[in-house]
Amino acid sequence: MNPQIIVLTALTGAVLSWLSGYIYSRLRDILAGMTSVILVLMISLSHGYSCSFSIGTFMGFPLVMQMNSLSWIFALTISAVTLCAVIFSYSYMHGKENNGLYYFMLLLVNTAMLGIVFSGDFLTLFIFWEIMSWATFLLISLKKGKALEAGMKYIIMSVFGSMAMLGGILYIYSLHHTLVFSKLSAFAGTYQPGSTAAILILFFIGFGIKHAVIPFHSWLPPAHSEAVSPFSSILSGILIKMGTYGFVVIIYIVIGLKTFLLFAGFRYILHVLAAMTIIVPTFIALRQDDAKRLLAWSTVAQAGYIMAGIVFSTGLSVLGGLFHFVNHAAFKALLFLAVGAVEYRTNGVRDLNRLGGLIKRMPLTFSAVLIGVCGLIGVPLFNGFVSKWMLYKSLIMGGSPLLAFAALIGTWGTVLYSYKLIHNMFLGQLPREYKDVEKAPLSMRIPMVLLALPVVLFGIMPGIVLRWLNSVIVSLGFKSIKITLWGIASSTGSVHMIYIAAAVLGGVIVALLLLSLGKKPIRIAQEDTYAAGAAIPEDKYNFTVDFYSPISKTIAPFCKDIIDTFYTKTAAGIVKVCSMIRKVYTGYVGTYVMYIIFFLAALVIVQLAWSF
Amino acid sequence: MELLNMHPLIVIVLTPIAALLAGLFFMGVTRKFTARIHWRYGPPITQPLIDIMRMFSQRPVSHGTMFHGGVILSLAGALAVLLFIPFGNIPPLSGSGGLLVILYLLLVAPLGLALSSGEGANPNASIGISRKLMLSLGYEVPLLLILLTLMTRYGTLSIYDIVHAQQETQWALVTVPLFISGIAYILILPAVLGIRPFEVVQAAQEISSGPLVEYSGPYLGLVHLEHGLTLVINIALFVNLFMGGAQNILLFFVKMIIILLAGLSINAVFPRLRTDQAVSWLWRWPALLALTGLITVMIWR
Amino acid sequence: MDRNQLIKWLKTPAKMSHKYSLHAVYFCTGCGIIEVPPSITARWDAERFGVVPAATPRQANLFLITGYVSVKTLKAIIRTYEQMPSPKYSVGFGSCPINGGMYWDSYNTIKHLDKYIPIDGWIAGCMPRPEAIFVAVTHLWTLIDKDMADGYKRYEKHYSAFRANQEQVLGPLPWPPLFSSRETE
Repeated sequence: MNPQIIVLTALTGAVLSWLSGYIYSRLRDILAGMTSVILVLMISLSHGYSCSFSIGTFMGFPLVMQMNSLSWIFALTISAVTLCAVIFSYSYMHGKENNGLYYFMLLLVNTAMLGIVFSGDFLTLFIFWEIMSWATFLLISLKKGKALEAGMKYIIMSVFGSMAMLGGILYIYSLHHTLVFSKLSAFAGTYQPGSTAAILILFFIGFGIKHAVIPFHSWLPPAHSEAVSPFSSILSGILIKMGTYGFVVIIYIVIGLKTFLLFAGFRYILHVLAAMTIIVPTFIALRQDDAKRLLAWSTVAQAGYIMAGIVFSTGLSVLGGLFHFVNHAAFKALLFLAVGAVEYRTNGVRDLNRLGGLIKRMPLTFSAVLIGVCGLIGVPLFNGFVSKWMLYKSLIMGGSPLLAFAALIGTWGTVLYSYKLIHNMFLGQLPREYKDVEKAPLSMRIPMVLLALPVVLFGIMPGIVLRWLNSVIVSLGFKSIKITLWGIASSTGSVHMIYIAAAVLGGVIVALLLLSLGKKPIRIAQEDTYAAGAAIPEDKYNFTVDFYSPISKTIAPFCKDIIDTFYTKTAAGIVKVCSMIRKVYTGYVGTYVMYIIFFLAALVIVQLAWSF
Repeated sequence: MELLNMHPLIVIVLTPIAALLAGLFFMGVTRKFTARIHWRYGPPITQPLIDIMRMFSQRPVSHGTMFHGGVILSLAGALAVLLFIPFGNIPPLSGSGGLLVILYLLLVAPLGLALSSGEGANPNASIGISRKLMLSLGYEVPLLLILLTLMTRYGTLSIYDIVHAQQETQWALVTVPLFISGIAYILILPAVLGIRPFEVVQAAQEISSGPLVEYSGPYLGLVHLEHGLTLVINIALFVNLFMGGAQNILLFFVKMIIILLAGLSINAVFPRLRTDQAVSWLWRWPALLALTGLITVMIWR
Repeated sequence: MDRNQLIKWLKTPAKMSHKYSLHAVYFCTGCGIIEVPPSITARWDAERFGVVPAATPRQANLFLITGYVSVKTLKAIIRTYEQMPSPKYSVGFGSCPINGGMYWDSYNTIKHLDKYIPIDGWIAGCMPRPEAIFVAVTHLWTLIDKDMADGYKRYEKHYSAFRANQEQVLGPLPWPPLFSSRETE
């Protein structure tokens, strides 16, 4: 399959489904779903295909599309998550207004992301990047109100990043007079410190804003929590990772591994930023009460893990970072879709202080959140564990124990906020107002099952994906790593999930045998719980508010989002200065005439003074 | 004691059984030793076994599938970790990714307990679990620094290599840069084991035994077994990492008993710290010591 | 103490373990509770007998009703007793549960606790000393050995009668019947 055919199919599908929405809304849903399925099939069939096509010129610049192993893995993840989000949208967006715009923009974002990963030169990448950013803005502010503010924050920062990226592209062009990747990689290794540093900084700003690295993360929490849930899952799962793709392209394809390793100072700054990105959002997420905001802050933290892997520049760390990208897409999209299902069934409630006990009413959604949370934490036998293990090992063996410490303590913070999420939503007492909540509809259950499968499968048999990623890192210039179906088999320390799986299975069998020695339990209702002999107060016998209050004071110093305050204050300052300047326009014609007279008088005076 | 000649499958089957019995023995020693410190007689050492047998003969109540499954998962997680820790000269499951796998498998048992007690719909359980997670965050900061110090010093992820390196030279506890981390580990050992002054999780008087509040019958029995196993696992981890493991399982057992009695001497006379006091203390002195140890090791190379 | 009878342990391990592991619900009612802390601390060490206070009724198998029972406390006692897992044993402590004791003519106390909760044994006294608790425990062991401590079985068998008595004093009970009449057959 040629990459341009894939992108063209995506675009056609988007336009067709939008137009058919004017005829019949069901037809639009069906076309959107079919497009996504066809894309997934087309991409899976082009495994191992490697090519490069020129698709024309734009103002004299050649436009090239290419496909290689890196593009393929990104494209597969993008289309798979989009498919799940589209199926989920059937019931979630049913009956809402602006559905035509929603589906069109969703599929347009999909097209743009596929275009980004299939682009073979910087101009194509920039065109598709801008399409993606603007379509995302329209989708984030779909619901208006607070979503509009979130969208404004997003688009301002995104445009700033795009301008930085444009500056970097122009600089590269001025150095080498070409923008095509394959030609640029020939120049890799011939850079001077000054120019390479400029390129790195400009592109780091551009891709870092999209990737939500500290200090560019401020747009992410409001945007992800205010967007509609299926789009939140795409945002967190794959849109952020376009920044990852950009990092990989810049660091390993354009600049080259050897040159990048010479920049010890810049890499050190990147390590520190990655460590901060892992720790600070984790602690901020602990204190959140809104389920989607908690997940949004969690996305920032996990993006820090991926960035740490990619900038650490060893084969195992890049492998771990890319694998964590695939895993994060799976479990974060799963979590956002499950929270969206709960939000749908409880009429828009996502406040963790009010929910509880939903395990009895929505068991499949609970299982989905449980699997997603286990993947997020990195419990062995789920996919997050393998990618995090690879990251830790590369950090420890690579002589960076402080960065490894940041990553490890990030995982413990993740345990805390993940348990808060699952406990406040599903465990505890079921409030009276949610006693009749129904299970999630079928079109919401299918994508949750589809996304839960890779979380478990890649946890037990990570070799499936690791083999694909191994060819990616070989193409980036690293040595190949021995991969088996069950894990990694290198000489400095291996991991085989089969032993862990067998050990846990053995433990479960022993526990079941022991339990069978006892008597059969009596099933009781939730009102029959211990309350020191008193009656259970309905709706009040629940512990959700301020779940981690004892340590809130201790971690409060780590949670001050100074950068967000800085941005908000700067924006407020600029607004003040501009409104002061605006006072020049009084709207009164008399003052304007006075301005003209004063200016003419000034000109006359200057002329007279000059002639002396 | 020619255990090395046994078939690995027999070792895998015998290790959990031996660990369960050792866990019961440790719990019995706990009660007897604490009683003797209190100038009374205390129950016989087999009392935990009697308690568990009594619990298994009672008819429990269940709050649902997650309630049932979580308890099974918690014991399964504890049993799974056992196979990855060397006990004396019994080799752990190889090809297992070392200390990181142990660290992550240790997560499974409390997670199972947390999910299961949450379905009991009792706020005492929720408070207990939130305290447990916060206390874990508290002692994980110094513990991770200590483990990273060891991994950097010995240049390996595998606990088996660390034990062998110590058996060839000397205990890490008395080595020059590592004794700082050793002292830090001794300071956080009560928190890891869940004994006073860090017994805030199962504060029987404050929150009605926290996560255990709705467990009866066999579920309670399994949770007590898991408590015993946790004692064995954490003490074994300390003995392996800082006291050089042992050449045979009997010497290993003796070392574990010494550490247990040392911890119990503190447990018997200290009150309980509040969660915020415990966490701020753990993030101050032990973390500072562990960080000093890590930086010393990083500079030493 | 007859702990060392290996044959008994091998034949009936459940019964023997129930004898030597009586965890008591730390239910503090009436005046008698003042006698319990001395018996579980260092002077009269109840842990030697296996008697330990349990945190919740779900973890206990011995219920010590230590003193007079007011009508309000009766509700809590019934709820607690029903939350305990069976087999369970209940012991009335002091004269008040036996026949009203000192409050034999009060409008607010229960005179015969045996009508509402099955009791396996009584400890007479006002208040009994801690040594009386240990004598009671050893007597309870004998009763368990002879299968005569069957309060929980009586509760299930005659549940409708017990519930009728309870509702006579407390009015309609807010919780559903613990055993349906079909279960007792």
